[in-house]
Formats: sequence, C-alpha cells, structure tokens
Amino acid sequence: MTDWGERVRAALDRDVTLDHEPLAVDVPPQSWLDTILAVRDSLDCRFFDWLSAVDEADEGFHVVCHLAAHRPGSVDHLVVRTLLPRTDPTLESVAEVFAGAAWHERETHEMFGIEFTAGGEPLEMEPLLLPQEFEGHPLRKDFVLASRVAKPWPGAKEPGESEATPVRTRRRSRPLGVPTPDEWGPRDV
Amino acid sequence: MSDLPPRSRGVIALVEENCTSCMLCARECPAWCIYIDSHQETEPASGPGRPRTRNVLDRFAIDYSLCMYCSICVEVCPFDALHWSPEHGYAELDIRDLTHEKGRLQSWLQTVPPPPALDEHAPPAKEIAAAEKAARNRPR
Amino acid sequence: MGEPSVTDLAMPVVGPPALGPSRYVVGGLELTVHGVGLACCAVEFDAAVAGQSGLEPLESGGSDAVPVLVVAGTVTDKLAPTVRRMYDGLPEPRYVLSFGSCSNSGGPYWDSYSVTKGVDQIIPVDVYVAGCPPRPEALLDGLRRLEQLVARDRS
Repeated sequence: MTDWGERVRAALDRDVTLDHEPLAVDVPPQSWLDTILAVRDSLDCRFFDWLSAVDEADEGFHVVCHLAAHRPGSVDHLVVRTLLPRTDPTLESVAEVFAGAAWHERETHEMFGIEFTAGGEPLEMEPLLLPQEFEGHPLRKDFVLASRVAKPWPGAKEPGESEATPVRTRRRSRPLGVPTPDEWGPRDV
Repeated sequence: MSDLPPRSRGVIALVEENCTSCMLCARECPAWCIYIDSHQETEPASGPGRPRTRNVLDRFAIDYSLCMYCSICVEVCPFDALHWSPEHGYAELDIRDLTHEKGRLQSWLQTVPPPPALDEHAPPAKEIAAAEKAARNRPR
Repeated sequence: MGEPSVTDLAMPVVGPPALGPSRYVVGGLELTVHGVGLACCAVEFDAAVAGQSGLEPLESGGSDAVPVLVVAGTVTDKLAPTVRRMYDGLPEPRYVLSFGSCSNSGGPYWDSYSVTKGVDQIIPVDVYVAGCPPRPEALLDGLRRLEQLVARDRS
C-alpha cells in the first residue's frame, strides 16, 4: 500500500482497492456527499476530473467520480464509487462541492436516468447533449439502437445466398445484441 | 496523384475473379455498407473427378456515403479481392450514386498503384531463401 | 436554468473565426463559402480554404457571389435546428455541399441515438463529397461539380 493509499484509508476510514490504477474507494450512497467533501478538504483533491455512471444490470448503477490532487511534481488520483439500486436510482448532487460536476451530473441524468438531489429535493436537470423531446436513457445496457434493428445486416446472408435465392440454414447469424424486428420495434395496433 | 503518400485511402477497388463471396468483408464492416449477393453454380465433373460447386457474385456494392475508410474489409479479405486506390474525386449530385456497384468498383482497379517497395535495408524474406534453396536442390 | 443552450446561440458561421465566410473563384464562378465545421472534417475543410488545394481567393467579392453552405462534420439531433437556421439565413440562390460521410448519411455514426443520419434530412443538399474525411482536393472536385450545377441553373 502506498503512502497515498494509507492517507486515503486514514482520512475516510474505509478500505481502498488498488486492483488497477487509479486508487478506488467504494462508499454507500448515503455517504456520497460527505465523502466527496472529505476528499476535497482533508485530502486536498481540488481537481474534479469527471463523474459518470456504469450500468451493472441487476446489481444497479455504479456512479463513479474521479478526483485528483496536484502536488509539485506529481498527481495523486482517487476514484470514488457508489452503487445505486436499479429501481429509483437517486444520489446527492456534488455541484455545491465542485461546480464543474453540474454538467457531468446533467449528462449522467439524461444518459442513465439517475436522479440527483439537493437538500433532499430532486434537481430539475435540463438535457445537456440530447434534444428536449428525446425518450429513453441511451447509455443503459437495455437501450436498443433502432437503426440496427431497422437496417437488415448485410452480413446475414450466407456465401452463395442472395435476395432472390434465400438459403435455409439453422444458423441465423445476427450481429451481437441486436434484437430482430419481431422482438423489438413498432407494432401495428 | 504522384505526390500523395503511398497507401493513401481514396476508394476501394474490387478484383471480382478473386472474390469467393465468403462474406467476411460484409460481416466485419462497422458501417454495414458492403452489400453482397451471390449464388452457387455447379460445374460438371471433368474426367473422373466429382462435380464442383462455386459461389458466383451477383452483386457487390460499397456505399461510400456510409464508408469510413477504415480498411477493415481490405485487411480481412483472405483472397486479396479488395485494394486501395488513392483516387478521391468522385463527388455526386445524388447520394444514391455514391453506392458503387460491381462494375464501377472493378474500373477503379486501373488506379490502384503497385505496392510500396520493400525497405532496401531489411533482411530478405524467408520465402525467397526457401525458394532458392528448393531450386538448387531440384533433381536434374 | 437560465443558461443558453447551443440551439439558442444564433451563430452565422461555425468554425475558426479566422476562416470566416470565404470568397473564391471556381472555374469562373464566384462563390461565398460558409463552412459549418462540426467535427474532424472541419480540419480538412480548413486546409482546403487555407490554400492547400488550389482554390483561388477572391479579393473583393461582388454581391453576385453565390452562397454555398459546406456542412463538414457530424450533425447531432441537438444541433440540427441551428444548421437549419443557418441555411434559412442564406439569400437565394443558395447551395449546400455535404462534406464527408457524417453529413452525407451519418457515416460511422449511422446507428447512434443522437446523430442526424445525413444533413439532407434537414436541408436540401446539392453535392455530396465522399470521404472520411475527404481530402482537401476532394472539396475542390465537389465545388467544381457545384459550379456546373450553378451554371446550368443560371441558363
């Protein structure tokens, strides 16, 4: 364990993981704001790099924040992570701690559907990158790319097959993760 | 044209004789812009051999409005049927004309340059040494 | 929240300020080229108008110069209304040249949730230049095709 790791463990009173760079610490959602404040104030991590989320399927959503402390001649990195339940994912906003986090939280909100709160009240977040009328949360793993369902895959044909002479084969290759129009898409009502 | 760097990617040319409709390029293309249709033909047995089947291309088209010139199709082709040409002036008034069919892809072959020369300081290829050795040892 | 969104900013030209609307002579025709540089294609477009590909700059452009909107780069659904407003703001007769795969058809991002699949979904396009990105010489070839089109329209 490095000096930096020891300092983090002492300041936050939590275990740190160093499976791969950078150093990571997992916290429960209710400690999120306090931890970010402690990282900024007690550990001097004054540089906010980014905040985003990871869709972990049934486990829920990981919200991840990368912070750094610039020292003369070196940089110390820290990744703070929390796990939110899949149904009704809510987390406190850290925009009061780092002003730059506001836009990252807007993007995380529109891409994953995570609600950010301030003082217990959910924040009204205008979409940052998506148009106003967009429906759905695109970076969730269950979001289907409609173009890939609508356009027939040119590679679906077997060698020696054409539109005119379809080949009957049990193996119907489809690109990974693309549902068929029968499984997903508009239905005639 | 001669002042363009070697291996410049302008447009892809097709050697229809080499294509076996294996579908690898169409499957690997990230833009889904290669459209291939083919059918099987059986050649009757010549002599004591059995009848042979082969794939014949009906359609080979590349949609250059979608193509991102990544080279994956050229690299993955096991039969060297696709080649890069540095030609770049093929703007169109109608986007449908940016889909080049088999005939047009073959006509680009005239603009495919010879491959760049090997580095003169590189060691000779092992295949050359092996071929020369086999030639020396060939029984007279 | 009070902050202006991208679509609220009425920008007549998107691109490096030093390379604003540029006047050129292509085959005897005077053009005012408005470059909408949205992504990587903007770099090749800038190289073309900076004199890399044989475009002759016109010192004092007359009012007869034909406006050409060159859309170079990926058009996202969020930015699409702005591109439309840029087109609507040009006086007629006006022409549009789509530069690169993204503005032709969505290009490598054809399956994205946020990309407009070709700028011809929102504005009429006259010339499509293929490439990812196209060479600066390809822009010149596209402008020559456009010149033939403009000359035909005028007769």
